Amino acid sequence: MKGILGLFLALAILVIIPAVDLAFAAGDEPGEYLDRRVIIWNLFFRMMTIAFVVGAVVSGTIIWQVWRFRESHPKAKPTPYEGTDW
Amino acid sequence: MSGHSNWPEWIYVAVVIALMCWVGAEAWNAERLVEHVPEGAEIIKVTGQQWFWTFEHEDGTKEIGELHVEVGKAYKFEIHSKDVIHSFNIHDYVVLMDAVPGRVTTVWFAPTDAGTHDIQCREYCGLIHYNMRGTLIVEDPST
Repeated sequence: MKGILGLFLALAILVIIPAVDLAFAAGDEPGEYLDRRVIIWNLFFRMMTIAFVVGAVVSGTIIWQVWRFRESHPKAKPTPYEGTDW
Repeated sequence: MSGHSNWPEWIYVAVVIALMCWVGAEAWNAERLVEHVPEGAEIIKVTGQQWFWTFEHEDGTKEIGELHVEVGKAYKFEIHSKDVIHSFNIHDYVVLMDAVPGRVTTVWFAPTDAGTHDIQCREYCGLIHYNMRGTLIVEDPST
């Protein structure tokens, strides 16, 4: 339970609060205009973060699978498809 | 098979879906913010033609190759083309919008500091495309 609360707290701090802040920051008054450079570059850096996270998750999973399911792994077991002549 | 579990796969799928939702939400929000033109933005009619830019302010003032604006005001560009497709770009302010014959495209910005910046065509539009440039001159407020 504490773990889930922590997860929601982390998500709120990382994603929800900045998004709500930005949503209310769309100024119509002189001096409060949004700077499109800031928005666009922020989006770019966030997308880079996501891209690297996806890259890390995908490549990390593949590397782990290759490492874990190699024939020489101490816990390697033959699958039924490979027969019992190991 | 004993001891088999699908949980890792489901967690993997959930992580990927969550990341895609995040990407979509962030991009949607940024686009919404960038496309929201502030009320009271001054409209500047921008016309691209081979191979120069002309600008017409709300009060009828016309400029060729140069555009004078003021710090702290918001400007909405209505972009036209007289011949082929051009692309109106103020690199320093991340303003970029195609000028398409027969259509009016719009983009807005609000300059923050006085200075001069390059305006450049960003869509190959013929022989002298490379020199289809202009100058944005941002001045301090007059009032």
